[in-house]
Amino acid sequence: MFSTQFAVQKFAQVVSVLVSSEGGEAKPRGFSFPPINTILRWKDVVPGINKVVIIAILSAVIGTALFLVAAMKDARKAPKGSRNLAEIIVEFIEKNIIMETMGKDGMGWTPFLLTMFVFIYLCNLPGIIPFIQMPATARMGIPAFMALLVWVVFNATGIKHQGFFGYFKNVLFPPGVPKALYILVTPIELISTLVVRPFSLAVRLFANMLAGHLLLVIFALLTQALIQAQTQKFFLVPIGVLPFALLIFLTGFEILVAFLQAYIFTVLTAVYIGGATHPEH
Amino acid sequence: MRVLVTTLQGGLVQVRVASDTATGGTEATAAETTGPNPIAPEGKELIWGAGSFLVFLVIMRVFLFPRIKKGMDARYNGIREDFESADSTRSAAKSDVSKYEAEIATVRAEAAARVDKARQTLDQERGNKIAEANARIATKRAAAEAELEAARNAVRDQVAAAVASVTEHTTQLAVGKSPDASVVQKAVQQVMQTGARS
Repeated sequence: MFSTQFAVQKFAQVVSVLVSSEGGEAKPRGFSFPPINTILRWKDVVPGINKVVIIAILSAVIGTALFLVAAMKDARKAPKGSRNLAEIIVEFIEKNIIMETMGKDGMGWTPFLLTMFVFIYLCNLPGIIPFIQMPATARMGIPAFMALLVWVVFNATGIKHQGFFGYFKNVLFPPGVPKALYILVTPIELISTLVVRPFSLAVRLFANMLAGHLLLVIFALLTQALIQAQTQKFFLVPIGVLPFALLIFLTGFEILVAFLQAYIFTVLTAVYIGGATHPEH
Repeated sequence: MRVLVTTLQGGLVQVRVASDTATGGTEATAAETTGPNPIAPEGKELIWGAGSFLVFLVIMRVFLFPRIKKGMDARYNGIREDFESADSTRSAAKSDVSKYEAEIATVRAEAAARVDKARQTLDQERGNKIAEANARIATKRAAAEAELEAARNAVRDQVAAAVASVTEHTTQLAVGKSPDASVVQKAVQQVMQTGARS
């Protein structure tokens, strides 16, 4: 009984403080988590160009600059600096993605997959760069376009290699499947190939980068709130170290996520193109 | 919707979720209601992103990647050729070494044959020299033995003559007349031969 009364009193105190702080009489202590829109939406720097657009353009410019500088260096000498980095990326795409998914026949796709990997990675990376702190892929525009492009490319490749009817026959009626199962498999394959693939590509990249961005925002705000907390509980301020440590850890983790998401997107693209080129696989 | 985290004096951090109408945040409400869905793609971002990527792709496909790849291939081919050249040089060196070793073996065999031949010649010459020396020694020994025998015979004759003379003289003193010399000599000869045998 006593404890119930005590709890009610405390709740009343909390409500009174909250109401008073929201009523404009006093500035609320702690922090209010901003709406997602305010975290993700950026005002136009010039009409039609916001921070996300600038990051996308810079990604293309930086990628171009990296490979331009690398291409201008003497290829006969042992590669160093930008040339070394560019060659490492090219070899990574060729050996770890194309050879693993498409085989030697897929080497012609190296420029496309290389550009895709570099562009996505450079769009992801600003999420952990101080004062930028926004991955361009945390907005749906770029992932949606990339997924749409991949969808067009792998379907066009399939049609080119197998013919229109041959491609859709192999897609809808996968060879080796018992005919009785086609009733089940055909609609699944239709939806999987034509709808789920691009959708999952786009959402996977977008959602992972958005989630990472939100986590960083949450822990940054929580750190600030705890350190600046106006409270007599002296232990709350030192506790602010914990979300700060997590913030540091997550920032490092986001570097890995940025690479991993670019890699996954590129690998899946290679798998889809390889599957459209060689339906027997 | 807003997430509010508030602290009380002396209390723990309080967290609650409230709607915008309840919080009275008019600016945030306006931003949420007028702004696009955070999940939906925004046109300008999609167009600029697409444009950036496609330009990047074209530059990479047409200009940058071929140059990078050409340089890589040229260097890899150079390295491969260097390896092949090194392999052929190594093979040639191995062949030279084996040829040299074969020549050394031939020379060694030839040297061994010469040494054997020289040793045989030396042995033969040594045998001949030893045989010659032995022959010379045998000749000298035979001559020395003959000389010794002659000397011995001479001494024996002298001794026999002396013994015969003594015997004749002794017999003359004992008997008073001189014995027959031939008998005495014959008797002395018999005694000396008997003594020599014993």
